[in-house]
Amino acid sequence: MNTSFLLFALLNPIFALLAAPLYMALIRKVKAYAQGRKGPRLFQVYYDLRKLLHKEVVYSSTSSWIMRFTPYLNLSALLIASLFVPLLFVPEPVGGFGHIIVFLYLLALERFFTALGGLDAGSAFGGMGSSRSMSLAAVIEPSMVVAFAALAFVLKSLNMHEMFALTASEVLPLSPTLVLVSISLFIILIVETGRLPVDNPATHLELTMINEAMILEQAGKNLALLELAHALKQLLLMGVLINTIFPIGLSTELDSGKIAVSAVLFLLKAGLLAVVIGLFESSLAKMRLFRLPAFYVMAFFFSALTILIEVFA
Amino acid sequence: MIDPFLLEGLIKILFVFVLISAALIISTRNLSSVLTTYTIQSFLLALVSFLLYLMDEKGQLLLLAGLTLASKVILIPYFISRIEEKIKIGRDLHFTYLEPTTSLLLSIGLILLSYVFLSRIFEDLSLSKLFFFGAVIGVSLTLMGMLVVFSRRKVITKVLGYLSMENGVLMFGLFVTEIPFIIEVLIIIDLVILVMLTTILAVGMDSSIEEYRQKFRKLQIWTGGRYL
Repeated sequence: MNTSFLLFALLNPIFALLAAPLYMALIRKVKAYAQGRKGPRLFQVYYDLRKLLHKEVVYSSTSSWIMRFTPYLNLSALLIASLFVPLLFVPEPVGGFGHIIVFLYLLALERFFTALGGLDAGSAFGGMGSSRSMSLAAVIEPSMVVAFAALAFVLKSLNMHEMFALTASEVLPLSPTLVLVSISLFIILIVETGRLPVDNPATHLELTMINEAMILEQAGKNLALLELAHALKQLLLMGVLINTIFPIGLSTELDSGKIAVSAVLFLLKAGLLAVVIGLFESSLAKMRLFRLPAFYVMAFFFSALTILIEVFA
Repeated sequence: MIDPFLLEGLIKILFVFVLISAALIISTRNLSSVLTTYTIQSFLLALVSFLLYLMDEKGQLLLLAGLTLASKVILIPYFISRIEEKIKIGRDLHFTYLEPTTSLLLSIGLILLSYVFLSRIFEDLSLSKLFFFGAVIGVSLTLMGMLVVFSRRKVITKVLGYLSMENGVLMFGLFVTEIPFIIEVLIIIDLVILVMLTTILAVGMDSSIEEYRQKFRKLQIWTGGRYL
């Protein structure tokens, strides 16, 4: 363990946790503007979380320990995952931290327990949401693995810290393969965070819900933790995308001035990406469930192409 | 003089966008989006040709860029958008033989295949990496256009698939063989005539080929081999 990593382990998760809800709110705001509404204030999401944290938790009488355990597990899995994606500065690699396969498994763990939590309450909605989420996961996960494999292949490392140290240090980082893999990463970001055209986070309609159905039975503090975990997941995937395609300003050394600059720059870049996501969501209608594989195959296509180009060209 | 490395990097990024547009032509269901994608694809080709001109400084490439811009970015899309207005259908939802998902997976295979074959053919020629990459993309674009012709039901998307095949030929020509300029001009005139003919036929073309044949039969223009 070195000081650089210790400081990173302290700063990065706290920064991610504080910034994550902001982008949920920003996307909501952009969508509201696109629909001609004003939308809630940006900080409303923080007030909501505070309110939920003070509320009592109500459990369904059929629920088991899974329901009580899921929110804590999800948030901890994503807090650990936040040690894998450098947002402020890239530390010197330590042990298995930053390993891309562990990162993927942490995301899978979160997805798995969210689905279990949906089933646990015994309501019809939760079961339906879990079933949909798992069947979609069976299709998107191969694409996700191939996309991250392509990223690892292009940047010649399995460690995300090393990868992003490389992208941050290059002067002209825009290579064709990185552009391609970024498109896959964008699709994965949309799918994983349950946004349109895959899932609509704004409704509670029986026909469209996937993620919302699974957390429908959660209440109070647990709901707050799950929402926070979801926001954190979104921020981390945004971080991966930003560090891949637009890493300008990401500090590669431990220097308070540079870290401050990279924090401000990251907030701005993530804000820009959130606006793009909001506009993307506003411009699309939800796809039918059985047409979704066509959307996922796009991610697969571009990642496979990345590997082909990287090998041959 | 612009740095050749920068130009090469830019051209490679354009290749990627050309492939993306080919994938979109395969999978998009909205007719006007397919047309926009085709227009963008042709524009990208004109841009590639222009960048190659900056690298090589051959006047022919500049002419080609201008010709592509005039015919494929302005003239042909204009005709086709006229057809789209006339036939009053917005989407092509029906596919034969292959769904877009399968077509996309298949086109990965096609790209791989064209790489393998071209690498055998060009083993002896000392082609630079950029030019070889361009040739592979050109052939793949042709094959992907063929997939569009093959899997789409509506005539108008078939025509767009055919046009994107021609874009592949142009790409291949730009990077490997240097098709004589006159042939390129002839091809483009062919395309314009094809699209104009389609415009003329557009009155009956609000449907798939099978239904179109029936319409012909009804009007006793063409009986499909049998005399009524």
